Amino acid sequence: MKTTLSFLASVVLAAMCVSSGMAQKAHANALVADLSKDQIRVASNFTGEKILLFGAIEGRDTGGASDVVVVVRGPSENFTLRRKKRVAGIWVNAEARTLGPLPGYYAVASTRPLADIAPVSERAKHQIGPEYLRFSLLDQTPEAAAPKTGSHSGPRDIALYHESFVRIKSGQNLYSVDPDGVRIIADRLFRAELTLPSGLPFGTYITEFFLFEKGRVVGYQTGELSVAITGLEQWLRVTAHDMPLLYGLFGVFIAGLMGWGVATLFRRV
Amino acid sequence: MTLIGMGGLVGFMSGMFGVGGGFLMTPLLIFIGIPPAVAVASEANQIVASSVSGGLAHWRRRAVDIRMGLILMSGGVAGSYAGVQLFKLLRALGQVDLLISSSYVIFLSVIGALMLRESLHAIRETRKGRPIRVRRPGQHSWILRLPLRMRFRQSGLYISIIPPLLIGFLVGMLSAIMGVGGGFIMVPAMIYLLRMPTNVVIGTSLFQIIFVTSAVTVLHAVENQTVDIVLAVLLMIGGVIGAQFGAIAGQRLRGEELRALLALIVLGVACKLLLDLVFEPAELFSIQRLEVGP
Repeated sequence: MKTTLSFLASVVLAAMCVSSGMAQKAHANALVADLSKDQIRVASNFTGEKILLFGAIEGRDTGGASDVVVVVRGPSENFTLRRKKRVAGIWVNAEARTLGPLPGYYAVASTRPLADIAPVSERAKHQIGPEYLRFSLLDQTPEAAAPKTGSHSGPRDIALYHESFVRIKSGQNLYSVDPDGVRIIADRLFRAELTLPSGLPFGTYITEFFLFEKGRVVGYQTGELSVAITGLEQWLRVTAHDMPLLYGLFGVFIAGLMGWGVATLFRRV
Repeated sequence: MTLIGMGGLVGFMSGMFGVGGGFLMTPLLIFIGIPPAVAVASEANQIVASSVSGGLAHWRRRAVDIRMGLILMSGGVAGSYAGVQLFKLLRALGQVDLLISSSYVIFLSVIGALMLRESLHAIRETRKGRPIRVRRPGQHSWILRLPLRMRFRQSGLYISIIPPLLIGFLVGMLSAIMGVGGGFIMVPAMIYLLRMPTNVVIGTSLFQIIFVTSAVTVLHAVENQTVDIVLAVLLMIGGVIGAQFGAIAGQRLRGEELRALLALIVLGVACKLLLDLVFEPAELFSIQRLEVGP
């Protein structure tokens, strides 16, 4: 309900702007956008959730030559990337590198394939597309600091780590690229639907809306989305992290109680 | 849902074969994609529940040698501490999955092979109509005559506490690394090495498993934060239901045939784990979120 209302409101707003003939303005407000919800609550039965990202293109008369790109990025984290190699006939993790900071979640949706919308330089500048995410090798972990043969990091290695990282994340649906995920309606309104998968990292997400014309950014807006866990899951997670002793004892207590309950129940039967 | 179903399946098998399900459950969890470290720690948590319910039944029949249980437990808690520390060290090195898989391959193939041989032998003997001889090693064992002897009234033994402490330690370590109760090692060790009477063996084994797996759960939670209580509870629910049906089904099959079947399952799991290590994996890379250290 709220979703529909806010969508309608933005449609009306956009229509007003257009009809009042607002002159072309600086590029910061050539675009207004919002989300259907700004908080995602994750409980144990969370299997994914759809959000709607929508908005209007203001005061530009391009006759449909505009492109909209929507980027959603999760909180940045550091990751250890391990590479398996064959040692004595079995496959073991033989190499470890620390990468970061990289978003735990990254999705980009656009009206056309990104390569058709903007040149590489522009995409790299705004980090549009997982291949343009900027990170560095941190390598503070002891195993990576230890000198090992074949672990010299050349640019070729970095590209390989980057590619592998994106591949694994894509496999978990945590990184996605949707080249026709954004629809423009009547040259003015746009909407994108994004399905947030299960296994989302928690924290504050950043949404970015780009309006492209002739390969250049002419409109930009950013927003926030928070992904939080609730209820029992939140309690368990917080406890597991901050009070691990209590968490462990709680696990044992539950197990003991359950075992006792079952033994008692089946003795009566 | 899958997890409850799997808990049920393994519970069914453990009820049918009369074994704790840890050494089947942990590999199954790994096969469906649960990170091995989480599978091990959460499975230890589940075993607390199943050993409490099993142990209570033996307790009521007074089939528990408490003194022996406490000695085994002391060794076991020390062993689980050592196991968890080793686990933590290898986890930081990215080798814990290898440790878990290779421990399983070794133990499952040895135990599976021994069980298969023993049960096939028993099947052949019964077909020929011969009574099965239970083989027992020599009368006196020097290891039981080591110093620090103690009287175990319930078992009718007067033996050194060094062997049970060592056995406890070893099993505690396995418990921490593999997420098992360790009954499959503990029980034969108690019968053949410690010469305990069979009527108190299972109860005493379960008694010490309760405490050792509790220690493993708490230590993993503190050191590695790999215990997933929600996962453990789901497994408990499935396990409890499955065990009841399994016990009924088990009564329809003969002991030797049951053991042969279990041996084949154990060998099958060992094979699958071995093949996963030997064949080139589809994905050579893996990522792990870097935990912010203290």
